[in-house]
Amino acid sequence: MKKILSFAVIITLMLSLLSACSSEEDTSASASDKTLVVGAKNFTEQFVLSKILAIYLKENGFEVEEKNNMASQVVRQALENKQVDLYWEYTGTSLVNYNKLDPLSDSLEAYEKVKEVDKDNGLVWLDQSQLNNTYTLMMREEKAKELGIETISDLAAYLNDGNKLSLGADAEFATRPDGIKGVEKEYGFKFGSSNIKKMDVGLFYQALRDGQVDVATGFSTDSRIKAFNLINLEDDKSFFPAYNAGITVHEKSLEKYPELEELLKPLAEKINTETMTELNYQVDIEEKSETEVARKWLTDNGLIEE
Amino acid sequence: MNNKRFVAFVIKLILFTLVGSFFAWSFKSGYYQLIIDDSEGFLFLLKQHINMVLLSSLLAILLAIPMGILVTRPKFQRLQWLFMNTANLGQTIPSLAILALAMTWMGIGFKPAVFALFLYSLLPILRNTVAGIKSIDPDLLDAAKGIGYTPAQILLKIELPNAAYPIMAGIRTAVVINIGTAALAYLVGGGGLGDWIFTGIMMRDNSYLLSGAIPVTLLALLADQLVRLIEKLVISKGLRQTVTISD
Repeated sequence: MKKILSFAVIITLMLSLLSACSSEEDTSASASDKTLVVGAKNFTEQFVLSKILAIYLKENGFEVEEKNNMASQVVRQALENKQVDLYWEYTGTSLVNYNKLDPLSDSLEAYEKVKEVDKDNGLVWLDQSQLNNTYTLMMREEKAKELGIETISDLAAYLNDGNKLSLGADAEFATRPDGIKGVEKEYGFKFGSSNIKKMDVGLFYQALRDGQVDVATGFSTDSRIKAFNLINLEDDKSFFPAYNAGITVHEKSLEKYPELEELLKPLAEKINTETMTELNYQVDIEEKSETEVARKWLTDNGLIEE
Repeated sequence: MNNKRFVAFVIKLILFTLVGSFFAWSFKSGYYQLIIDDSEGFLFLLKQHINMVLLSSLLAILLAIPMGILVTRPKFQRLQWLFMNTANLGQTIPSLAILALAMTWMGIGFKPAVFALFLYSLLPILRNTVAGIKSIDPDLLDAAKGIGYTPAQILLKIELPNAAYPIMAGIRTAVVINIGTAALAYLVGGGGLGDWIFTGIMMRDNSYLLSGAIPVTLLALLADQLVRLIEKLVISKGLRQTVTISD
């Protein structure tokens, strides 16, 4: 089972790499003049969300080109340069990472703020969804119990006592101000660079489960947290900001297709944290394809015809 | 001939100026500040990178050269294609895929990275060992047999010294490629300077990118020179002139 799982991860990793490579400009097929490029970052949830968006747009008469598997900074840059017309972004990421502002833990406040500042960047935030995918620090349940760690403060105290724990993270979380550096600063402790093991996004769930690291970063909507018997350490100082998902569109693309605003409303309305966790579960644990999961969700919600 | 040399000189000069000005510019822009600011982290990653390359290259050398000698012995010559094809596999599968596959068996971290790099380094060394031994003039071997050399003596005194140049060239190729490929180890949690290169890509931050990439490049150049030096020590003077392989 372990091998099958990790194999599945690798296959998706390679396939997504492949699809990222093969999604070069396809100017040959310009049958429809309504074309949009949908972008996505490099983890399951983003693949599902972008598939939902792409299928929905296709069913509504758009020619859609998908560009997947980009790092946050890269897809955002692509949107600013209009190489991508729209993609799902998270409020906290835009606030802290792109606009270098202080994190806000209130969802609505964060949304109003990014809507305002990103306007100056030529980007429009469509409706905010109830999907809040914040960062978490995870541990194996038994290990956390054994060490008596429930909150990040407990973790900080444990490490400050001179104990050592290793952390699994991707390069992005290890460097972002709202990532590990910010956590260390807020809670007053340090993992130490030799104890931080950096690896590709999504591998750290298995690394944590298999005991190759003691603590790992995670996304709160990831279904593997439950499936692998992991627990989220409570963010008792509310350091991690709200990361509500919303569709960001380049203003020129919205000017060209103003109908997008109304058209995409139901998507944001119907997606929330629980649904997303469930959809992620279907892809990561039940090994269904993102397309299948996205299509089923759209039909179940009556957004597209079967 | 003189003309050619002059052109080569001019091209070299232009290239060096370009590289030099790039370095001057990137230094001035503070792209290497990270190495100073986080010197502890840098040295840690550098050490990981070097360890990975050293261990995997060493394993590849220790396996590929004896393997090359073995398959050129008359008894095993029929198996040559098998060995060569197996080693070929190591190179035809993309390094990223080898890394991913190694991860399924060995988990995450240093081990799968070393294993993948080891597989990747096998072929250049094996191929050059076989080619080097096969390219020896048969008359030379006949003469050796004629004066009563045992097979072991032929191997040690005739074959290996004569094939030393291509073998060393293979090792050089393997090590230099290995250093660059080791940057991919980040993906499976193997560490090394790839951590900073990938951070640079993900964060769109050139100081991370260059602070990771330039040391890797310098490391490759350094290793190349180092193996060249060893080459000079290992290959006897007389043989260096007779075998000319352009590189």
